[in-house]
Amino acid sequence: MTTVIMRTTARIVVPIVLVVAFSLFLQGHNLPGGGFIGGVLTVAAFALVYVAYNLDYLESGVLGREVEREASIGQHRSVAAYRRLFMLGLVVILLSAFAGVVFGQPVLSQSFVHLHLPLFGDIELASALVFDIGIFCVVVGGLLTVFSVVSAE
Amino acid sequence: MAPDIWVLLAAIAFPFLAAGVTPGIYRLVGERVSYVGVAVAATSFGLILTQAGTHGTVSVSWIPSLDIVLRLRVDGLALLFSLLASGIGVLIFVYASGYMHDKPDLGRFYMALLAFMGSILGVAFAADLVVLFLFWELTSVCSFVLIGYHTDEAASRYSARMAMVITVGGGLCLLLGAVLISLGAGLAGQESFDLAQVLTNSETVAEELRANGLFVPSLVLVTVAAAAKSAQVPLSFWLPRAMVAPTPVSAFLHSATMVKVGVYALGRLRPLYHGPEWTLVVATLGVVTMLVGALLAVISRDIKELLAYSTASHLGLMVAAFGFQSHYGAEGGAFHLFNHALFKAGLFLVAGILAHQAGTRHVDELGGLWRELPVTAVVAVVASLSMAGLPPFAGFYSKEIMFEAAWHAGETSGGLAWLYPVTAVLASVFTVLYSLRFLWLFLGDRPDDLDPVTRAPASMAVPALVLGVGVAVVSVAPAYALDFVVEDAATAAAVESVDVHAGLPTELSPPVAMSGVTIALGLASFPFYDDIRRRLDTIYTLSHRVHPNVVYDNVLALAGRLSNGLDRTVHNGLIRTYVWWVLLSACSLTVAGYAVAVGGLPSLSGASTPLSILLVLGVAIVAAVAVTTTESHVTGVLTLGILGFMVAIFYILSSGADLALTQLVVETLLLLIFLLVLEKMPAFYSDTDWGRVARDGVLAAVVGATATLSVLYTARDESDGLTETAQYYIDHAVEGGGGTNVVNVILTDFRAFDTLGESIVIVIAALSVLVLLTMRDWGETG
Repeated sequence: MTTVIMRTTARIVVPIVLVVAFSLFLQGHNLPGGGFIGGVLTVAAFALVYVAYNLDYLESGVLGREVEREASIGQHRSVAAYRRLFMLGLVVILLSAFAGVVFGQPVLSQSFVHLHLPLFGDIELASALVFDIGIFCVVVGGLLTVFSVVSAE
Repeated sequence: MAPDIWVLLAAIAFPFLAAGVTPGIYRLVGERVSYVGVAVAATSFGLILTQAGTHGTVSVSWIPSLDIVLRLRVDGLALLFSLLASGIGVLIFVYASGYMHDKPDLGRFYMALLAFMGSILGVAFAADLVVLFLFWELTSVCSFVLIGYHTDEAASRYSARMAMVITVGGGLCLLLGAVLISLGAGLAGQESFDLAQVLTNSETVAEELRANGLFVPSLVLVTVAAAAKSAQVPLSFWLPRAMVAPTPVSAFLHSATMVKVGVYALGRLRPLYHGPEWTLVVATLGVVTMLVGALLAVISRDIKELLAYSTASHLGLMVAAFGFQSHYGAEGGAFHLFNHALFKAGLFLVAGILAHQAGTRHVDELGGLWRELPVTAVVAVVASLSMAGLPPFAGFYSKEIMFEAAWHAGETSGGLAWLYPVTAVLASVFTVLYSLRFLWLFLGDRPDDLDPVTRAPASMAVPALVLGVGVAVVSVAPAYALDFVVEDAATAAAVESVDVHAGLPTELSPPVAMSGVTIALGLASFPFYDDIRRRLDTIYTLSHRVHPNVVYDNVLALAGRLSNGLDRTVHNGLIRTYVWWVLLSACSLTVAGYAVAVGGLPSLSGASTPLSILLVLGVAIVAAVAVTTTESHVTGVLTLGILGFMVAIFYILSSGADLALTQLVVETLLLLIFLLVLEKMPAFYSDTDWGRVARDGVLAAVVGATATLSVLYTARDESDGLTETAQYYIDHAVEGGGGTNVVNVILTDFRAFDTLGESIVIVIAALSVLVLLTMRDWGETG
């Protein structure tokens, strides 16, 4: 699958996909999108990189680091990073879930405030966004873990 | 005066908290961790002691949405049981510091022992059926861990599993019984699981239970649960097996406390079930166990096994006493519960000292040890004569009351009921026999090949001595024990007014005569002990086939064979077989659910489909058919992609923008994954097997039909407008959730708990894949 056509396409498409994924994630509260959709689309972008290049390309080509050969894929540095990501996501979700308790609200209650900033106009800050960030991290971390472990087979 | 709930909760929770940190402390201070246990048990004992004299039920809300309340009740029976558990607990922890010297895994050992003590205190004070069940099963789990202390020995694992299966199985009967009782209580207009209320209004609840035919079933279920826990015939066989556990465990769990939980529950529920059925079931069970246990104790060669069967026999005595209807029953049961805990725990500690110092537990290899172990011998004399029921020792008083209850039952019912006192006397004769046999380990002739025995360390001798002194005090002045807690305990278990008397007989009454016959026969036949034992051995061997233990083994083996057979059919290692069974059972369950809940096919009236949707779905169907006929994997994957994208377009046409986006993104990702694995797939599998094609075709049809049915049942006629729930979400999305995307607000706010669960599922899936793929070689290489 690592043809020239594939690689060239991937080079152009991946940044666009990532930007779209991020905007889908941000606008999720008011327009179609959200943490799950944004997360899956991000995973798709990474998957494209994996298909066009390989598992180590992110480390060697993008970050410019030496890739260390580990005994098993479970100890691979990027897999470890994905694992940390979904754990972080779960922690964020749980923290946001119990944050309401501090203010005397039931578990998982959400709130929001409207801010007026000079350049951006009316900005809504919703606590649901924190929850969504958690979902995003869990989806990206979880699916990428599965994807990279399976693809390493 | 009402008890203080926080003191009670602290007394129960403290052992659990200590259990949590015990392994850590063990790592720091080694086997001195036993002193932590001593301190915790003493603290709980002290806390409970402050509540002595209080009475009543206190509660804190636990699971409000399910109406489950943490209710604790303090009365005589609860105090008796909890003081015994924590008091003997102190002694056991002291004893264990000597007995378990230089043994491995002490962190786990003390953790389980502490958790057990917490659970038993929970059982004692529970005034809610759910809470009672919870702590009841916790004691079984702790007992499992403690019996299986020697994890590397097959016998130990076998016994632990047996105890687990029997006692936890019994616990499930208790759960069922509790549900039935709560149904009765609900019908009588009370809070359903409130045991305290059930007991205060026991008559109305019993009436409701009778009216609905639940009285006898719930009685039998509760009795089975108690029989499993308290080693009643025929479920008694796990108790002697449990003796593979270290002796402190045997003394604490399998004589003084855990096995008494069943008796305790019977005492608790006695006021509810009071009646002829109760006597028939419970008293009969009790006297039969009394006799069988005593016979088996006589033929035992291992001193711990002898004590175990004797424990079963004495538990039978308590069960029988609680089974009799007169007030003597409640008195005898409660008093013997107290006495037995003292003398049997003491005897077990003595047996542990013998095994520890002499290196053998065989009855015939021990004897004449009073010179070498004088202190232990004194304890053994007091405790085993109390066990035999000889005056003026403590066991005599409580057995006398039990005889009185049995005699009373024979007198009031007549006929076959006279078998109760007769069996009780017969069992007691054998009790005298084996008690004397145990005593002869110290008094009889010393076998020549017995190596010199050294004295036990103080940490082991002192707890035994304390228990011996306890027995002696109760023997000399039973009134102290009665006034302190026993009389209150009997009151809690009785329906009638209670007036316990204990003392040496001054005139000849039927129970005194029964005691006299018992003791005379026992003493007279002791010289022929070996003959009697040989005869009983013969009977025991002949009845081999019907031994409950053998039945248990056969049932377990059968269950194993059945599971293996099922495993070979369903779990044959081919993923398509797994999928076949999983999908088929899921679909059949779903359809069966529809058949029960709805019954009848959904109506198709009012369904209309716009042309555009028809077109899209038509393309999807064509793509689906095309997938099955493609020659290469690439075309197959691409055609499958067409199907997926058509579904996405269908969502767009039905104005489900978020769904469509998700479908598109997931479809893209799937396509990429397929591309990744495509190179690894074989181009050719095998020739078409039409049998398998037919089988898969049937499955496909069933899945399709189930999906169609589900859609038709759940879809609504659009002309009715939005449902109440949908309208609520739309109305409250902006003001309540602060977002105009209702779907997202539902996901992150209204139903965030579901989302939380789903994200946990993703994490679990990722971890499983990681573990499966990276660690699958471990089993093969190491």
